[in-house]
Amino acid sequence: MSTAESEAGVNGQKSFTILYWGPATSYTLKEKETLLAHLPISTARLFEMLEEKYAGIKSKVLESCMVTVNFKYVDVSDSASTELVINKGDEVAIIPPVSSG
Amino acid sequence: MESANSIAATLRLQITATEKRLASLKQQLADIEEKSAENVSVSPEVPVTQKTKWPLSAEEYKRYGRQMIVPNAGLKGQLRLKSASVLIIGAGGLGCPSSAYLAGAGVGTIGIVDGDTVEISNLHRQILHNTSTVGLKKVDSVISYLKNLNPNATYIPYDIHLTPQNAEEIVSNYDLVLDCTDHPTSRYLISDACVLLSKPLVSASALRTDGQLIVLNSPPLPVGNPEGGPCYRCVFPKPPPAASVVSCGDGGIIGPVVGVMGVLQALEAIKLIVSGKLKGDGEPVASSMLLFSANGNPQFRSLRMRARSPKCAACSENAELTLKNLPEMDYAFFCGLTAPVNILEAEERIEAKEYEKLSKGTKQHLLLDVRDKVQFDICNLEGSINVPFSTFQGGRPLSQEGEQPSWLPESFAPDSPIYVVCRLGNDSQVVTRKLKESGLGTREIKDIRGGLKSWKEQVDDSWPEY
Repeated sequence: MSTAESEAGVNGQKSFTILYWGPATSYTLKEKETLLAHLPISTARLFEMLEEKYAGIKSKVLESCMVTVNFKYVDVSDSASTELVINKGDEVAIIPPVSSG
Repeated sequence: MESANSIAATLRLQITATEKRLASLKQQLADIEEKSAENVSVSPEVPVTQKTKWPLSAEEYKRYGRQMIVPNAGLKGQLRLKSASVLIIGAGGLGCPSSAYLAGAGVGTIGIVDGDTVEISNLHRQILHNTSTVGLKKVDSVISYLKNLNPNATYIPYDIHLTPQNAEEIVSNYDLVLDCTDHPTSRYLISDACVLLSKPLVSASALRTDGQLIVLNSPPLPVGNPEGGPCYRCVFPKPPPAASVVSCGDGGIIGPVVGVMGVLQALEAIKLIVSGKLKGDGEPVASSMLLFSANGNPQFRSLRMRARSPKCAACSENAELTLKNLPEMDYAFFCGLTAPVNILEAEERIEAKEYEKLSKGTKQHLLLDVRDKVQFDICNLEGSINVPFSTFQGGRPLSQEGEQPSWLPESFAPDSPIYVVCRLGNDSQVVTRKLKESGLGTREIKDIRGGLKSWKEQVDDSWPEY
C-alpha cells in the first residue's frame, strides 16, 4: 500500500496493526498484521473481524485475553466492548494469560 | 597429565567442600534430634544477634554491604528486608531463582509451598535442584540450597499444594506473596487469597520463549476500595478454555526465559519491601504488566494496566468472595476440567502393538504424526509423515475444494488406511475425527491409542521419551 493510499484509505477503510502475543500465535500462525476497517471500531467489532478470519479464535482465545491499544489496557467486558477505541494507525495487542512457570 | 592433575585437584577441593557440608547437615540433624529428645518444640533457627550498639551483626554488614550502599536501599531498606516475610508458592522454574535472590538479599522469613518432587526434566531450568536431589521433595531441595546460601533467614517448608482450604492459614503469616505456580486454578486461588488477606502479589509466568510479570493488589487496600491495585481477576476475568492451557511439559520452556521472569519477581519484591510500600503507604504507582519475548524486538514491553475493575468478582465492592466462603470455592470447576480427550469410538482406535503388526504387512498405509515439527525432528517412526496439529486448527480447510490435501502422497490409493499418532494420544483423536468428517473417502482412519507413549510401552522400549 502506498502512503497516498493509506492516507486516503481503501474504499474508505483505514489501517491499524495488530500483534498476537505468545500463545495467541498458535491460532493465527503470525505475530503481527495490518488490518483494514472503517475506523474507529470497537473491540466487539474487532473480535467479529478476527472470528471471520480465524474461525474459532473468539471462544478459544480472544474471550480470555487481555487487549491493549497503544500499550494501554482496554476493557473488553460486555458493557465496554462497544466503545470505539481503535483508531487509524493504532497498535492493538492480543495478550493471552500465560499460567505456566 | 597436567590436565589430569588439575582435575584431581578440583575433585579434592569438591570433596573437602562436600565433607564440610555433610558435617554441617549432620550437626543440624543432631541438634534437632537432641531437641526433640528433650521434648522441646523446634523453633526456627534465628541467629542470635549480640546486643551491640549496631542494628545488624558484623557478618550482616559484610554480607549485605554491596546492596546496602545502593542509594534507596541503605540500612533502612536492609532492616525492612530482615523483618519482612515472603511466601513463595511454587519451587520450580520461577520459585528457584526468586527464592535464591530473596534469601541472598536478607529477607528474614521465607516460606516455600510445593507438593511436588524433583524430576530430572526439571533441572534445565529449576536451578536450585540438582542431579543428586532428584526424587526429593522440592521444598526440601530448595531449602537445603537456601540454608547453604544464607543461614541467617528462617525458612518454612510447606510440602503440600495450596488449596482453598489451607490458603488462609498459610498466606496470612506473610507480608508478600510470589506466585510461581504453573496453572490457572492456582493463579486465581492465590490472587483471591491475597485480595482477601490484603497481601501484595508478584505474579510471573513463562512458556516457550515468552514471559509475563505483573504486581497485583498493590497497594493492597481493602476489598471495595477502588484505589487498591488490580487483582488477577480484574486483568483476566475469564479463564482460558481448559483445552487451550499449555504447560511447560507440553509446550516447552527455555530455561533462561523462566529464569529471567523469576529474577524479575525477586526484584519487584525487593523494591516493594525496601521502599516500605508493602502496606500501600506512600505514593501509589501506576500498575503495569511487563511482557518478555526472547525473539521479540524489543524483547521487553511495558503495558499500562487498568485500575481495579468495578465489576471484579474478588476485589470490587460487589464481590461476593469472603474468607468464609473461600474454602468452598471450586477453582477446577471455574477453570474447566481437563479430562483426557476421549471423542472416538473403540472401533476408531487401534493399539500401538496392533499397528506395529499391521505396519509389517504389505498393505499400503499412511502414518500421520501430528506433533509439532520440532518434536517430529527429535524422533519419529519410520515411514511416518509429519503434519502438525496446528495445521488442522483455525478453521482452515484441509485442502482446496475437490483436491486432496497436499500432504497425501499422489500414489496413495483411495481405499488405503490412514493412522494418526501424536505424543500422548489426545491431539491425534481430534485430527482423526476431523479427517473422518472431511470426506477423505470411505477408507479406514484410526487413532493410535495412547500415542507414542504407548508405542514405547508396547513395542519399542528404546523409543526416546523426552
